[in-house]
Formats: sequence, structure tokens, C-alpha cells
Amino acid sequence: MSNAILVAGGGFAGLTSAIEAAELGHDVFIVEKSPWLGGRVAQLNKYFPKLCPPSCGLEIQFQRIRKNPRIKFFTQAELVGLSGGKGDYTAKIRLTPRGTAPHNVDFSLLASALTGETDNEFDLGLSKRKALYKAMPFAFPARYVLDGGTLSKSDMARVAGAKFVAPPEEPREIALNVGAVIVATGWKPYDVTRLANLGSGSVKNCVSNMQMERLASPFGPTRGKIARPSDNRAPLNVAFVQCAGSRDQNHLNYCSYICCMATLKQCLYLSEQNPDVGITVYYIDLRAPGRYVNMLEKVRARPNVSFVKGKVADVAQAEGDRVTLTAEDAVRGEKLTLTYDLVVLATGMQPSLAGESPSLPLSLDEDGFVTGGEEFGIFAAGCARMPLDVTRTAQSGTAAALKAVQTVRGR
Amino acid sequence: MAQYTLKPDMNFVRELQEAGGDSLKRCYQCATCAVACPLAPVNAPYPRKEMVWASWGLKDKLMRDADIWLCHNCGNCSDLCPRGARPADTMAAVRNMVYRELTGPSIVGKWMSRASGLIWLFLIPAVLWLVIWSIRAACKGGWFPRAADGRIVFGEIFYGDYTIDPVFMITFFGACFILYRGVRKLRKMFRPEGELLVIGKKKSWICHLVGVLTDEVVTHRKFDDCEDGPVTGKAAVNRKLGHMLLVYSFAILAFVTAVVALGHWGGKIMPAVEIHTPMPLTFPIKILANIGALLMLCGLAALTWRRVSLDRANHVSTFYDWYLLGIIWLVAVTGILSQSFRLADALKPAFVTYYFHLVFVWMLFAYLPWSKLGHFVYRTAALVCARMYGRS
Repeated sequence: MSNAILVAGGGFAGLTSAIEAAELGHDVFIVEKSPWLGGRVAQLNKYFPKLCPPSCGLEIQFQRIRKNPRIKFFTQAELVGLSGGKGDYTAKIRLTPRGTAPHNVDFSLLASALTGETDNEFDLGLSKRKALYKAMPFAFPARYVLDGGTLSKSDMARVAGAKFVAPPEEPREIALNVGAVIVATGWKPYDVTRLANLGSGSVKNCVSNMQMERLASPFGPTRGKIARPSDNRAPLNVAFVQCAGSRDQNHLNYCSYICCMATLKQCLYLSEQNPDVGITVYYIDLRAPGRYVNMLEKVRARPNVSFVKGKVADVAQAEGDRVTLTAEDAVRGEKLTLTYDLVVLATGMQPSLAGESPSLPLSLDEDGFVTGGEEFGIFAAGCARMPLDVTRTAQSGTAAALKAVQTVRGR
Repeated sequence: MAQYTLKPDMNFVRELQEAGGDSLKRCYQCATCAVACPLAPVNAPYPRKEMVWASWGLKDKLMRDADIWLCHNCGNCSDLCPRGARPADTMAAVRNMVYRELTGPSIVGKWMSRASGLIWLFLIPAVLWLVIWSIRAACKGGWFPRAADGRIVFGEIFYGDYTIDPVFMITFFGACFILYRGVRKLRKMFRPEGELLVIGKKKSWICHLVGVLTDEVVTHRKFDDCEDGPVTGKAAVNRKLGHMLLVYSFAILAFVTAVVALGHWGGKIMPAVEIHTPMPLTFPIKILANIGALLMLCGLAALTWRRVSLDRANHVSTFYDWYLLGIIWLVAVTGILSQSFRLADALKPAFVTYYFHLVFVWMLFAYLPWSKLGHFVYRTAALVCARMYGRS
């Protein structure tokens, strides 16, 4: 029997539920797949509701984790097995070694001297990274990661002589005794290569909304200057393609909830950098729930932003690396074929567990969202349950923590 | 502000759903379909607007819409439809409603709209030809007579001059008259509201008809244009080859029939051009006829295979589709079999299959205005009107 709680996922939902449970006096283990905590929110330029940079909200969470001895977290870790039952689970965790010494060493000089490069997954392929890297300046834990596969020959010699770079180590497994599990595995952006009629991700200067966040982020590939990936030029006219793969039975058969607001937010990013940039948003329905309608009104009032009711169903490369798209303006009944400097596909959120075979006894619906498991002391939080914005993610994290705490209470 | 009150006709919505548009209510008007369709014009593209009309049961708007005929049913829109509303099938359902309701007698349209009506459609020619057979059998003193020289000659029973020719001439001209009435109605319906301003010389409808026939029907260009839409990421079989084979085989067989009829009737005036049936296998007209039959089989096989292999999630075939394919199959197979039995000297099978051949050919032509084959006239009319009114 254990009254410890395991949290799978170190994004906003996972952090919130871990902290809430720990602050109620429970031991909490966070298991995070990537090398740092923060999840998808860390990749954003700004986030709702107050349009703060991610460091703002995450910094507080990281502080609370740092100061709370009840929270242990494992990064580059995966939950690979769960045995036992409610109140008494044994969780098997596989840990991938980080390759660097366990203190916050600043490797920036050594990293810049390396030659081997690979696509930066944190920037969604918009930039390259070295074998020794840290995704963001406010990364927590503030430790570099050594990715042996990306080291070039000369890199190996360089790294071999470096202090604080740990010798290669095998992955290992540990076992934890916990009473309840919170599944906060979050989401992944829908794979644009599956959107055949929207260019399958092969059209230049046609980016996804998450890529747009990286382009706008001061820590992103362009240091925050929104520019076309092909030539680094600031776009003069931009189109947003809403519901790119969402509300579509061929792709995600549900509304992803956040893409409309993300687009409105990105309209502001663009307008702040150039008030004259021409923006067109192609939509089926604009969904601005609750108080977000104020945001919609704010963007709608801007003279440089126009809205067209009609889904874009064809995207093609045009001359000068521009992008041509076709949509029917359903209000006027006209088919429009227009060319833009930059096109943003507002792709939706797919649960991370979709298409995976999770190691937990979880029931998923056809889309990959967690539907049950509470009777086993397994609780889903955040976007593992349904598409949510950050505010509601935090609420669902708290809710899951409360349920988990009740499961293990008094043991 | 001008007000327009919509009067939804829920009965029509139900009829449309039964005629193949059962999923039309799933549409949420995202307008993907209008982009998916490479044939839809820039101005007032289809089928999004038809989907909302269908949903509201605006029968009048749909029935008089020329756009349902501009659609060549490639199915791109259904492939890309995010809701599985199958706009292509809804467009086809509207066409089916036009087949059913455009011309009278309305009972034929009703029979043609469902499988249960098939029995009546079959019984009419079956009885007709049986009566003729029995009368001739009484004259000839037997149901399966041989010719004087011992050959099998279908003319012994179904003698051209006063059995086949009059029946088919009445059928043919009757169908033509009904189609003519239908086309006149369509033309009135297709006329856009208000005055049409044409700058420059106005072409007559005959010029447009020639344009449609040479530019679209002969070349089957639209079937290729159908391929120009956005990438759907789904496999689709081009119908061009199958449809073209079928159309050309019909043209060849029509030509052969015309030549034989001319040879027969003309031969009564000018014995030099007389053609005797059955024609020998090496006779050029006979060779052409058999080539036509072969092309027909190939076209049928291609189209049937395509229809069978369609992804049922996005493309559903209705009774109209299967009736047309089925009746042409039956015509082709019975035609080829009766020739084969005749040549093989199988007396009874030859006459029986020939009897069925006549029944099915009669069905094909007599019911043409109410069957899917009507598209060959109605779509041509719509394409001519579209050119006349500058919509392309």
C-alpha cells in the first residue's frame, strides 16, 4: 500500500496535479518523456488567458516543485509497466541517461563548437540543433542533454575530453510503489503530412500554428521575428487555414477547441510586428468560448484582418515560394484562389496516446482520448482527456489531483 | 430589406434521402466540396449550395438547377467531405428525382425509382413480345420454326417488317417525344432569372450543341478535368475509359442499326442496297456490330468493376446506377448469346435468348427518359444551356 501518486507527463496538467497533490501532503513522482518539464506550453510564444510568455506561468510551477521535497521528477523517463491494483501499484520506469553531469553546467560554449546537427524537434523542424543542447533558456531542469546519435566524428573527440560530460551509460529501469496514477500525457500537433489536399507539409512557407508559435517566440529560430522560413523575409500577407484536419472524419473527428483562439492570438503577433500586414482567416465557424469572445471582437476590429467563411480545401506552391490556396466564400458563393506570402495551417490537437499502445490499463476512445480508468485509481488530466486550453488544463489537473488524493487517502 | 421566406419541403428531403442522398443532413456547410470540385465554376460553385438547398428541401431550386448536370460525379467532393455527407451522391439523388419527375406518365418514374417496380417494367415488354411470339408461332405452326434452308432465322418469328420495326419505331419515337418534352421543360427551368445581357453576336443553340458534342461528348474531356482537383489522398479509378467505350459502342450499334434499317427498307425501293438479315459474319456491317458488342462488354466490365470497388463509406450506388448497368449488361449478354446460339444451331436457346434480348432492348429504350440513361439527353441539354447562358 502506498499513498504516493504517479503523474505521467510533465506538461501543464501534470505539473498542476503533481503540485496540488504534493501540497496536500502526498509523495508525487512526475515521469516526463522529454528532457525538460513544461510540455507544449513551453513551446508557445504567449498563452491564454493573459497572453503571458510561458516562462511566466511555468516559472511559478517550477519554483513550487523546487521547494517541495515531496515532488520527485524524472525526465527522459517513460512509464513502461504498471502492475498491482488501486492503492498499491508498482510502476516500472525506464530512464534514459542524460549524458551530462548532474549539475547545471553551462555547456553553451562547448555546444557551439560542435559540428553535428539535426532537426530541432522543439522548433518543429524550423531550426537545427547540436548534439549537446538545451531547448529553451528557462528550461527546467536547467541541464543540457547529450544526444550521442548526432555527434560527428570531431564532436566525439571534443566531447570525450570535456569535463562534466558523463560517460555513456545504459538506460535503466526503476520501480516505484504508488497508490494512484494521473495520466497527463497531453497532446501532439496533428501530423500535417496526412493533409494531402493541404500540401502534405511539403509546401514552402506553409507552416503549422505550432511552428508559428516558434517563429514568434523570442527563443525560437528567428529570435521572435516572424519571417518566412524559405527566405527569412517578413510576410506582407498571411492566411490562416482553420480546421486543418479538425472536425473532419478523415482526420480528427472533433473540434480541437484551441485553434480558433490560437489563430486570433497569432493575428495579434503579426499585427504587433507590422500593423499593415494583411491577414485573412478562413474558417467554418469561429469558436471563441466564454470571455474569449472579447478577443474575437478585438481582432475583428482590426482593419488589417479579414475573415472568410469557407474552408480551404486546396493548397499549392506558387511562384516566389508563395502559397496559393482555394476556398469558397460561402457567404458570397464565390470560389477564391488567392496567393499569400505565408500560410498557417491551424492544425488541431491529437492526444499523445493516439496510435500508441499505452502501458497502462487504459480505455481510450476511437480518437485516443482517455475515457475511463477511475475505478482503477487512474485519472486522466488535461488534453489526454479532451482538447483544452491552458486554464482548463490547470483546472482538470487540480480535479485529477483531488480524485487521486481521495483514492489514496488514509493509507 | 427584401424578405424571402423559405418553405422547407420535408417530404422532398425524405424523397431525396431515399433516392441516394441519405447522408445529406450531415453537411455543415464548410464549403470543402466546392473547392474539391474542379468543374465547379468560380461564380456560385456547386455542390455546397445544392447541399444547403437539399437540407432545406428547396425542391424548386434544386430541380431547376442546371449545375446538378454540370457535375460529372467524380466523387472528389465526397472523398474530401469532412462529415461524410457525400455531396456527390446527393447531386446524383437530385438527378434521380429529375428522372423520376420531369416527364409523365409518372407511374413509370415511380416504378423506376425502386427495385420493387422492376417487375412491372419487365412484365410490359415480356408480355408484349410473348404475344407477338405466340401469334407468329400460330402462323408458323410452331414456337421454334427453322427457315426453309434449315438455318435459324430470328425473322421467322420476329419478322422485321411488322413486328420488330413497328414496335421499336413507336418506342423510339415515343421516347424521343417524351425526351423532347422533358428538354423543353428543362430549358425553361434552366433559364436564369431576369434578363440575360449578351454583348456581341449570340450563337444559336445548335452551335452550342455541336460544341458540346464535339468538345465534350466525343472527347470525354470533362472526365479528365475531374482529375484536376486537389489531391484527396484516396484512390480513385478514372471512369473515362469505361464510359468512353460504352458511349462509342452505343454509337457504333446505333450506326449499325441505322444502316441495316436503311438497307432493309431502302432495299424495297433500290434492290442494289438491300441488306438481308442475318448477315454473314464477314459482312463489314456485321463485323462492326460485333466490334461494338465487344467494346460494350469491355466498357461495362470497367464501369462495373469501378462501381463494385468504390469505397462504400464515401460512395454509395443506388438502384438507378445498378438498373442502368444491369440493363446494358443484359442487352449485351443476351445479344451476344443469341448470335452464338444461332451460329451454334441451338434452336430453342437461340429463340429464347433472342426473346429476352428484345425485352431488354425495349426496356432500355422505352424507359430511357426515367432511367439514369436519361442523363445522356438531360445532361447534354444542361451543358448546352450552360454555354448559352455563359456558365462554364
